[in-house]
Formats: sequence, C-alpha cells, structure tokens
Amino acid sequence: MKRIILVGKPNSGKSLLFNQLTGLRQKVANFPGVTVELKSGKFEQYQLIDFPGAYSMSTLTRDEEIAVEKINQALLDEDTALIICNLDATRMQSSLMFGMQMLAMAQRFGKPVVFALNMIDEVARFGHQINVAELSKDLGAPVYAISAKTLEGIAEFKTAVLRDAEQAAVEVNAADTAELPALDFSEQVKQSRLLAAKYGIQSTLVLKNQNAIDSFMLSNLSGGIVFLAVMFLLFQSIFTFATPLMDGVESLIGSIASFVTDLTGPGMLADFLNDAIFGGLGSFLVFVPQIMVLTLIIGMLEDSGYLARAALICHKPLSYFGLSGRSFIPYLSAHACAIPAIMAARTIESPRKRLITMLTIPLMSCSARLPVYALLVAVLIPDTKYLGGLVNLQGVAFFGLYLFGIVTALVVSLVLSRSSLNDDAKSDMPFILELPTYRLPHWKPLIHRVTNSAKQFVYRAGPVIFMVSLGIWVLGYFPTGTGGLQDSYLGMIGHWIEPLFAPLGLDWRYGVAILMSFLAREVFVGALGTLFGIDGADENIAGLAANIQADGLTFGAGMGILLFYVVALQCVATVATLKAETGSTKLVTGLVIGYGALAYLLAMLCAQLL
Amino acid sequence: MMTLWDASGGQTVTVTGLDPAIDLSVSSRLREMGLDSGDSVLCLRRGPFQGTLVVAIADCVYSLEQHIAKRIQVKPL
Repeated sequence: MKRIILVGKPNSGKSLLFNQLTGLRQKVANFPGVTVELKSGKFEQYQLIDFPGAYSMSTLTRDEEIAVEKINQALLDEDTALIICNLDATRMQSSLMFGMQMLAMAQRFGKPVVFALNMIDEVARFGHQINVAELSKDLGAPVYAISAKTLEGIAEFKTAVLRDAEQAAVEVNAADTAELPALDFSEQVKQSRLLAAKYGIQSTLVLKNQNAIDSFMLSNLSGGIVFLAVMFLLFQSIFTFATPLMDGVESLIGSIASFVTDLTGPGMLADFLNDAIFGGLGSFLVFVPQIMVLTLIIGMLEDSGYLARAALICHKPLSYFGLSGRSFIPYLSAHACAIPAIMAARTIESPRKRLITMLTIPLMSCSARLPVYALLVAVLIPDTKYLGGLVNLQGVAFFGLYLFGIVTALVVSLVLSRSSLNDDAKSDMPFILELPTYRLPHWKPLIHRVTNSAKQFVYRAGPVIFMVSLGIWVLGYFPTGTGGLQDSYLGMIGHWIEPLFAPLGLDWRYGVAILMSFLAREVFVGALGTLFGIDGADENIAGLAANIQADGLTFGAGMGILLFYVVALQCVATVATLKAETGSTKLVTGLVIGYGALAYLLAMLCAQLL
Repeated sequence: MMTLWDASGGQTVTVTGLDPAIDLSVSSRLREMGLDSGDSVLCLRRGPFQGTLVVAIADCVYSLEQHIAKRIQVKPL
C-alpha cells in the first residue's frame, strides 16, 4: 500500500488532523526505550503515518534522532507517495523552520510535499489573513489553509492531497542517506524567519492571552494553589473515577468465571478455570480502568497546555535529585498504579532522567499495597486517636509508609543520577520546554490515546502476568490437588525457604505469602488468610489481623514486612512494563534484585532492632 | 557579562553570543529557536522557586533552566 506521511512541530494540531483524515481505526507502533511512536491509519487508498512532532531536523535527543531516522527511511521508501507537513498558522516562524527543513530533505529524495496551514480559524479570530497562494509560491509547494478543529477547508484538503498523491512522481533517489553529506539548515532557518515576518501574525498579539493566563498560573502563590488543586483532583479521580470501573471489571470476570465453572461442575478443571485462568485474567485486567482514567486526565492536562506548566513548577525541587520537572506526574500517578506511571514517564525530555524516573517509580506506594498496609497497620498500631479524633495513630502510620516510599525514591534517584547510568552524550539534555497556547482539548485524539494505552498494557504486560499466574496456581494446587496451600509445592517451597525468612522473624507462612505476592502485592492478604484459615481475607481484614496478633507476630517483624512491601519490586506487571519501556532485561533484573536486597536488609534491621 | 538569567521580568534583551562550552547540538537548537547573536528575547518571568526563566522568542514561549540561561550572553535592548 502506498503511504502518505504526516510531519510537523509539536502542539500544532497535527494529531487532530491525523484523526480527521483517518477516522477511528488506527494502529500504534512503539520503539522500546524511547518515546517515539508511529501512528498509522487508512486514508482512502493510502496508509497515513503520523510521525512524532519535531522542532528541527537537527536532533537534540535520542528520541528525536530516532524520529528523524524514521523520516529519512520513509523518504527513501518507494511506497512513500507524499509528505504532508502540518504548520501552525498562528506560529509561522517555529512551524516553518521545521517545515522548510523537511521540504529541503524531501526535495533531496524527490518526494513531493504539501503544507497544511492548520488552525486557520484562530488566525481569522485575530483579524489576520494569510495570502495562501503567495505563500505557496514562496515555498515552491502547495499550501492549503485548514482547521482540523472546525473542519474548515478539510474536504478541499482531502481532495487536493489525494490528487497530489496520485500525480506525485514515485521515482526514488537511489542514494543512501549515509552517503549524502548532512544538510546545513541555516538557510532554511533564515528563510523561515523572512516568511514568518511576511505572512505571520504579530507575535505580541498571539502571545497576549497566553501571557495573561501564565501570569496567574505561574506566579508563586496563585500558581502554587492551582498546581496543588490540579494534582489533588488528579490523584482523587484516579481512585474515585476508576474504582467503580475496576469493581465492574472484577465482577464481570467473576460472573463469567462462575458461569463457566457452573457448566464444568466442581473439580480440578473448575479450580483451574476459576483460579488460574479467570484469576490470572482478573489480576491484570482490573488495572485497565485505572490506566485509562489516568491516561485521559494526563491527556487532557497535556492537550490543554497545563502539563508543561506543571513540569515547569516542579522542575527546581526535583532537579536537586537528578530528576526533571516532568517526573512529577509519573510520580504522582504511581500512587495509584506503577504501570501507567511508567508509561507517563515517556513525556520526560531527557532519556537519563526518564530512566531514573521509571526505575524509582516502583518505590511509590501503589494502590495494590493498600490491603497489605491496612492489614499490618491494624495488627501493629493501636487505633488511638488524638486531638479529638482529628489525628489517628494508624493514619499517621499510613502517611509514614507513603512518605518513606517517596523519600526512598528521591534518595535512589540521587544515587542513580550520580552514577554512570545511561551516560552518553545525548542522555542529559537541558530543560528547554515550549509552553504551548492554552486550548480546550479535542475529544478525538484523547479517545485514541486512552484506548491505545489500554491496548498497549494488555498486549505488553498481559502475557507475562498470565503465565506467572498459571505457574503459581500449579505450584499452589499440586500435588494434593485440593487447593490446600500447606501441602502444595508452594508450601514445600515455603518450608525450604523458611531459613531465608528466619532473620526477619518470620515463619514459612509469611514466606509463602511474600513469595506469592511477587505476582501482585495484594495476593499477600489472601494467601495469609488461606494459611491462617480465614476465608475471604480481603474483605475480613479485622478477623485476620486478630488471628495474626494472637499468633504472636512481633512489632519488629511486622514493621519489617511493611518496609519490605514499601521497597521490594514484587509486581510482575510492573516488571514486564519496565522491561518493555527500558528495553533492558539486565537493568530490570538488577532493579528487582537491588530493591529486593534493600527491602530484605530493612526488614532484617527492623526485626533485630525494634 | 550579562546573561539571559540576569534579565528581569518584562525586559527585552539582545543575544550577544552563546557560551562555546554548550554542547553543539544544544547550541544549534538554541540558534534555531531564535537565540542567535542579534536576536531579541523578551524575558517574561521567573518560574516558581527561581528554577526556570520564561521567555518569549519570536512566536513561542519557552522555559529555560538556569543552567542553560546562564550560558546565553545578552545585552539590554
């Protein structure tokens, strides 16, 4: 299939144009370890490929390098019929700088370029008019004035693009990019300035509203209040909006499981379907709503222009720990779930800082740790209230655990930032951030973003979690075949590894529960419930807590388990996502071992000293 | 020598040069953005905690961290 490629600078309405041209069916291809993402969709008889937004063909980061490399490959490809270069009509200079570099590159390979002069509706609102015919003549390529938002000029643009693609000569320059000398784009930069001065809107007019809003959003006081309010709402919505959806997924899978197991009748097959298949499916599908809600909110913040401001506000404090301002959103999101947070780290400009952020995200206390914290805090900390019930000692303990995770993440970030991790020339780029215009987000790109995040999670993390879930079921079910953990292979393993947990003041039952929770942390409560003979332990935490207290768990050993859960990287889904995002098994293995060793050491110190 | 970091809010300055110690890829990006010798820059404000500088360059607004703003030499317009 012949291809048309779509390029342009970020925040220029390119994604919306892509959505308007392709409709709802899209595919996303990712490149591990970098943020580069190629979206493709069908545009009439052509495949339309949306390249990541770029500021220049001279690359600054590894991500840009890969993006430009992919553009070069597309230019060499004989199936590439046409290049659409999207220009922001309100930001002519910066758009044309990239556009003219792209034009020079395309001409080199004999590929035709058409320019989409997007956001023409906003230009009209400023009472400005652009002489499109004249601009087209100056550029030496067709220019079409459009608005992907209001659809102004879109029908004519589609017809013209299809006509231009048909007419385009498909002769390909046989030369390899490697053999050609690098282009010096200084001439294009000069030309873009001249053309912007001739056709563009006066910059003071364009920036007037934006600057007025920024003087409120970026001031120390009002900016700080808005920032805290936005982050509070983000954090709340992850729990409040996602919880009913998560409950829905759980009950749907539960209903299907009981329907299927009713058909099979009791026995090993029913146990297998119920616990291994549906239990395994449920353990990762339950996170999908949370990922979707988080992606939606982050997408709205990004498309509205606020995310760039939030990054700016956080930059200084986080820079002390070798992180970027953009690390804040992933860190905050990680308190709900590490998986979408690791994905959200893609917005961090510096690969080095992105890597450090991703590697420290698992230290934030995610929602899966909540049941573990709830159980052990109930066991260890008295329900004492102070200040007329305003302060609860158990609440303080909860806060302390969250804080311990944050502080550990910052300390680890500081250590990693001083190491030689990802220490190549392009790994530590300075924080240069464009503050885009404030805009109301359009629903179409948001919907695609949300569905793609869910698909990516299911495809990437799903198979790994599912396989591990199967493995644990087999170990926990056999050889007795009754589902009793004590006499299962898992129970035997628990007895074998008991000496490992002895220095932590724990017996084999805790060892098995900890081992099982390497699938997902919340499994700890259910497993302990089974071992202490409490059915439905997830819902009956008070009963299980009383049993554990009566069994004589010491304060030191209990606190040790808590700190172990704050630090240890136990979630298979997180490990799978980290591996996919970093592209390094070695790094992720090292991280699991490193956090495991640190968690073990802390737990041992607690057991011995407290 | 005055640097972009020294400019106060609302002040327009002219770029006189870039520190040669800046990485080549970064300095060429800065030039493309409109931070080449002779270009004028409007300093809008400092970001919270004095962490970054918000500037208007041509038709865009950028936030530059102190580390890089201190390496851009300027003079008042």
